Amino acid sequence: SPGCGRNRPALNNCQIFRVVLKIIKHYQEEGQGSEVVQGVLLGLVVDDRLEITNCFPFPQHTEDDADFDEVQYQMEMMRSLRHVNIDHLHVGWYQSTYYGSFVSRALLDSQFSYQHAIEESVVLIYDPIKTGQGSLSLKAYRLTPKLMEICKEKDFTPEGLKKASVGFENMFEEVPIVIKNSHLINVLLWELEDKSTVADKHELLNLSSSNHLEKSLQLLMDRVDDLNQEIVKYNTYSRNLSKQQQQKHQYLQRRQQENAQRQSRGEPPLPEEDITKLFKPPQPPPRMDTLLIAGQINNYCQNVKEFTSQNLGKLFMAEALQGHN
Amino acid sequence: MSRFFATGSDSESEESSSADEITPKAPGTTFKQSLLLSDDEEDTKRVVRSAKDKRFEELTNFIKTIRNAMKIRDMSKCLEEFEQLCRAFLKSKNIVDKEGVPSFYIRLLADLEDYLNQLWEDKEGKKKMNKNNAKALSTLRQKIRKYNRDFETEIAAYKENPQESADEEEEKEEEESGSSAESDDEAGDEGVSAKAFLKKKPEGVSEASKFLKKGSGDESSSSDDDDDDEDWGPDTEESGSESSDDEEGKNKSLATVFLKKDKGLDRPGVKKVEKKKQKKKERLGEFQDGEGDEETEGRWEKVKGGVPLVKEKPKMFAKGTEINVPVVVKKLNEILQARGKKGTDRAAQIELLHALANIAAENNLGQGVLVKIKFNIIASLYDYNPNLAAFMKPDMWKKCLDCIDELLDILFEHNNIFIGENIAEDSEHLAVSEQQPFRVRGCVLTLVERMDEEFTKIMQNTDPHSQEYVDNLKDEGRVCGIIDRLLSYLENKGSTEEICRVYLRRIMHTYYKFDYKAHRRSLGLQGETKSEQDQEESEGEDSAVIMDRLCKFIYAKDRTDRIRTCAILCHIYHHALHSRWYQARDLMLMSHLQDNIQHADPPVQILYNRTMVQLGICAFRQGMIKDAHNALLDIQSSGRAKELLGQGLLMRNMQERNAEQEKIEKRRQVPFHMHINLELLECVYLVSAMLLEIPYMAAHEFDARRRMISKQFHHQLRVGERQPLLGPPESMREHVVAASKAMKMGDWRTCHSFIINEKMNSKVWDLFPETQRVREMLVRKIQEESLRTYLFTYSSVYDSISMETLSEMFELEIATVHSIISKMIINEELMASLDQPTQTVVMHRTEPTSLQNMALQLAEKLGSLVENNERISDLKQGVYGGYFNRDQKGGYQQKQSYQRDQKGSYQQKQGGYQGGYQGGYQGGYQRGGYRNQNQGGY
Repeated sequence: SPGCGRNRPALNNCQIFRVVLKIIKHYQEEGQGSEVVQGVLLGLVVDDRLEITNCFPFPQHTEDDADFDEVQYQMEMMRSLRHVNIDHLHVGWYQSTYYGSFVSRALLDSQFSYQHAIEESVVLIYDPIKTGQGSLSLKAYRLTPKLMEICKEKDFTPEGLKKASVGFENMFEEVPIVIKNSHLINVLLWELEDKSTVADKHELLNLSSSNHLEKSLQLLMDRVDDLNQEIVKYNTYSRNLSKQQQQKHQYLQRRQQENAQRQSRGEPPLPEEDITKLFKPPQPPPRMDTLLIAGQINNYCQNVKEFTSQNLGKLFMAEALQGHN
Repeated sequence: MSRFFATGSDSESEESSSADEITPKAPGTTFKQSLLLSDDEEDTKRVVRSAKDKRFEELTNFIKTIRNAMKIRDMSKCLEEFEQLCRAFLKSKNIVDKEGVPSFYIRLLADLEDYLNQLWEDKEGKKKMNKNNAKALSTLRQKIRKYNRDFETEIAAYKENPQESADEEEEKEEEESGSSAESDDEAGDEGVSAKAFLKKKPEGVSEASKFLKKGSGDESSSSDDDDDDEDWGPDTEESGSESSDDEEGKNKSLATVFLKKDKGLDRPGVKKVEKKKQKKKERLGEFQDGEGDEETEGRWEKVKGGVPLVKEKPKMFAKGTEINVPVVVKKLNEILQARGKKGTDRAAQIELLHALANIAAENNLGQGVLVKIKFNIIASLYDYNPNLAAFMKPDMWKKCLDCIDELLDILFEHNNIFIGENIAEDSEHLAVSEQQPFRVRGCVLTLVERMDEEFTKIMQNTDPHSQEYVDNLKDEGRVCGIIDRLLSYLENKGSTEEICRVYLRRIMHTYYKFDYKAHRRSLGLQGETKSEQDQEESEGEDSAVIMDRLCKFIYAKDRTDRIRTCAILCHIYHHALHSRWYQARDLMLMSHLQDNIQHADPPVQILYNRTMVQLGICAFRQGMIKDAHNALLDIQSSGRAKELLGQGLLMRNMQERNAEQEKIEKRRQVPFHMHINLELLECVYLVSAMLLEIPYMAAHEFDARRRMISKQFHHQLRVGERQPLLGPPESMREHVVAASKAMKMGDWRTCHSFIINEKMNSKVWDLFPETQRVREMLVRKIQEESLRTYLFTYSSVYDSISMETLSEMFELEIATVHSIISKMIINEELMASLDQPTQTVVMHRTEPTSLQNMALQLAEKLGSLVENNERISDLKQGVYGGYFNRDQKGGYQQKQSYQRDQKGSYQQKQGGYQGGYQGGYQGGYQRGGYRNQNQGGY
C-alpha cells in the first residue's frame, strides 16, 4: 500500500521491489553460519517513501586481494546499471545477521556515513535464521537524529550522551517496510510453494527450541560479560573522579584559609593558580560501546522473547492436539 | 769452594761464584748453602737475631733489587720495588727512630734520584723506552722527589761525602773477586778479606778481638757439630757441612766486623742471613715462581743451581740430630707454619709431611706421632684447593682415601690412642710410654665428613655421562667402607653426638639405594641366582634394618634438629623407595615436617622435596592415585622440578642470579647417581592427574565454577589441542595427552594402549622395580576411571543400562562395576538407581539440560552486573561509604541470597565431589592440607 504524503526528510516507509529474493539468494550463496554478507541498495526517494528497487552485493574478498577497491567497484557497478537504465541511486545498504547480532560499532559507523551523505539511506537487516524457521525477517533501520548529532560531534563522553539524552532504546529507529512484488515474482513464489515438500512447509511448526535458545543465551552471556567490563571501567572512572573532586575541594579550602590568614597579616593573597592544571580530570571512558552493547542485549532479549512466546504457543497447540487425539 | 757446597757440583759452585761478582754482594753467599741441611741449632741462632737486623735485612733486600733494576733500566720494576721499600721502611720506623736512618738507605735514595734525573735528561733514551717504563719513570721521579724532601739533610750529608761509601763498595768487590779467585782456599779467602779489612780501616784492628771472640764462639758451635759427626761417623757430606759451618763462622765474624765498622756496610752480613732464609725456603720447597723472577735478576745462575739440590736431597734433619718425638713435632710445626700462607707450595708441603711420616715410622717414634702427622697430611690434602668450589684431583683423592684408611688402621690396631678435638695442643701425649696412653689432638670424624663432602664435590664436577664418572663412582664403595669403619670405631669410643653424625653419614649413603637383595629375598627368588656375588651380597643386614637402627638411634639421641630432620627424611625416602607406603606416610605425618620445612636450609629442603617426590611415586605404585597426585603437586606445579630437586639449574633464572649465587646453587646440586628420573616423575604426575581429572571434567562439564585439579595437566591438554596436525604421539607427554583424549570418550582400550606400550615401557614403566605389578594396577585404574567417565558423559542418553554390558565393555567383573556405580550413586555424582533383579542401572534424568545450565550461568552473570551497577548508583547518590556497607542494603542482599540458593542446590548435587576433591584439593596439599586430609581419610 502506498504511504501517505509527508515532507522530506522524514521517511515514513520504504517499499521494496524485487530486492528480497536477491538478498536471500546472496546469503544462501555466500553466507555461512555467523558470516555476514553485505550489499548496496539502489532506488529512489518518492515523497516520503523510499523505494528500493534494486541491489547488488559487495564482493566477498579474501585476504589475497587486499588492494581491492570497494568504492571503485561500487562506482563501476552503478555506472553499468545506469547504462542498462536501472535505478542507480544509492539509498543504503543491507546486511545479514546471526541470531540478531548486528548492533555494533561497524554498523553504526557505516550507517552514519551513509546517512551523512545521503539523508534517506537505510540499512536492511536480514535474519537468515529466523527466515529459515518459516517467517521472513527483514528490517530497515535508521539512526535517530539525536544519534546523528552525537556522531557528528564525536562526543561519546558520559556528559555528552546525557545531554543528548540518548539511550540504547532511541539509538535506532525502525522504518516500516512494504514489500511489493511484481506479478512475475508472485508467480515464481507460487510455483515454488507448489513444488516444496510438506516438511518444508511445516518448518514453522518445528517444536525444537533448545538449540536456538542456547545459541542466543551464549551470545547474550558474552554481551553481558562485555557490559560488565564496561561498567567496571566506568565505575573506576567515577570513583577516581569523585576522589579527585574531594581533593580539589580540600585544596581550595586550604587555599582559602591561607589567603584569609595572609590577609589578616596584611600580605597579598597567593596568586591564582590554574586549578585544572593541578587536578587533571581523569579521562572519561567512551560510553558509545556501552550503549551499543546495551542495544545489542536489548535486541537479543527481544529475539528470545519473540522466539519463546511463539514456541510456547506452538507447545500449547501441540499439547492440545495431543489431548484431542 | 766446592767443598762448601755440600750438595752441589763443582761447576755449579763456580757459576754461582761468578754470579757473585756481578752483584755487590757478600762473599758468604755461597757457603750458605751448607745451611741447606740446617739443624735446629742454626735455626735457633737465626731466631736470636734482633728486630733491627731483620728489618734492615728486609730493606737491603729491596735496595738490592732496585739496584738491579736500575742496572737493566727496568723502571716499572724499580717503581714497584721502591714502593715496597717505602712500606718496609715505614714498618721499621721504630728501629729507625732508635738507630737513626740507616746510611745504606740514604745512599740508595740519593743514587736513585741522581739516576732518575740522569735518565730524565737523556731524551733519546727516554724515547726508546717502552710505554710502561716511561710512565713508571715519571711516576717514580715525582715520588722520589717528594720522598727525599724528608731526608734532605741526610742526603746532603751523603752527597758531601760519597767517597766513603764508594770505597766500601770497591772493597767489597775486591773481596768477592778474591773469594771467587781462591775458591778452594779457605784460608786465602779469609786472608784476603782480612787484608782488605786491614788495608781499609785501621781501627778495624781494635775490632779484631771482637772478631776473634766471635770466631771462637762459632768454633764451639761447630765443635758441637763435630760431636754429632762422631756419632754418625765420617761422611763426605758431613765434613762438607762441618767445614762450611766453620767457614761460615769466620765469614760471619768478618761480616760483623763490617757491620760494626760502618752501618752502611752491613750488607754482606745481612745478605747472608737473608740468603740463609731463602735457602731454608727452598729447602721447604717453597720456591715460588714469583720470587724466582725477582731473584733471577741478580742471581740467576745460582737459583738454577739451587733447585736441583733440593730435588736431590729432600732431607729433613741434619744427620747429626737424634730423631725423637719432640724433634719431629717441632719439625712438623715448622712445616705447618707455612700452611695457609700465600706463597706456599701445597703439593710440596704434602710431600714433606709424607716424608716426615716415613721418618717417624722408620724411627719407631710410636703411633702417637704418626697419627698426628697423618692428621696433618689429610688436612693439608684438603687444603690443597684454595677455592671452595674446586674439587680434588683424582690422585689427591686417592691419596686422601689411602691416608684415612691408614689412619683408621692405626686407630684400630692401637687401642691406647685417644683422639679428640678438645685435647689441647700442649696436653697432647705423643711419646711412647707404658702407662700413659697416647693423646692426640684431632678429629677423625671431621676428616671423614670432609672426605665425604669432597666425594660429593668430585661427583658434582664430573660429567655424569662419561666413563670417568663411573670410575669415580667406584670409590663410593671405599667411602662407604671408611664410614663403616669409622662408625664401628666411634661406636666404641665416640660420644653420642659423634655417633649421630657418623650415623647420618652412613644414612646419607644408604637411603637412596634400592636394596635389590632384600627385594629378591622378599620375592623368594634367591634360590635361582646363586652366583658368588649374589651370595656375598645377600649376607649382611637388609638396608631397611640398618636404616631403622641408625635412624632410631638418632631420633632418640640427637640434640641438633638438623641431623634428626635429615635422618627422618632419609628414612621416609628409604621406606618409599621400597614401597613401604604406610610406614613412609605415617612417618611423614608424625614428623610434622610439612609445617616448618620452609624454615630449613636449602639442602634440607632439597632433601625434603626429594622425599616428597619419592613418596608420591611410591603412592602411585601402590595405586593410590590421589595421594600420588597430591604429593607431587607442589613440585610439579611450579614447573621447576629440576631446580627444586637439586638436579640442575634452570636457564630461565640465569639473569636473575649473579655468578656468586650460581656457584652456591651449583654446590647444592645432588650428584647424578642420586637423581630421581624427572621424566618418570612427570609421567607419574600426569597419569595421576589424568586419572583424576578426566572423570572430574566429565562430571562437571557445564559447571561454571569448575576448578582444575591440575593446572599442568590442562596445560598439556591445551598444548595438544593447539597442534595443527596430530600425528601419532612421540614423547611421554603426547602419549598421556592422547590417552586422556581416548579416556574422555570412555575408550579405555585406546587409552591403555597409549599409556602402556613399548615406548612408554622403555621410557618410564621399566624404571620401577616391580614393573609388572605397576602396569597391572594402571590397567585396572584406567578401566575403572574410563567407566566412570563413560557414565558421566553418556548417562543422559541412556534410560537404563545393563551392568553386564558395562562389565563387558570395560572388562571388569560385575562386582566391581556394581561397586563403582554404587559409589557414584552414593556420592550423588550419578542420578540413577540400581535395579537388582535385572542388574541394570536406571537413570533418573534429573540432570539440568545444557540450556538450564546456561540459564543458571546467565543469571549469575546478571547478578554481578546488577552488583556493579549498584556501585555506580551508590557513587551517584554520593554514598561514599557505599562500597563497604553495601551488604546491608536489602535489594542487593536478596539478590545475593538468590545466588546462594543457586549455588547451594548446585553444591548439593555435587556434594560428593566437592567434599572429596575440592575440599581436599583446594585447601589441600599446601603442606598442612596433606596431613589433615590424610588423617581424616585413614
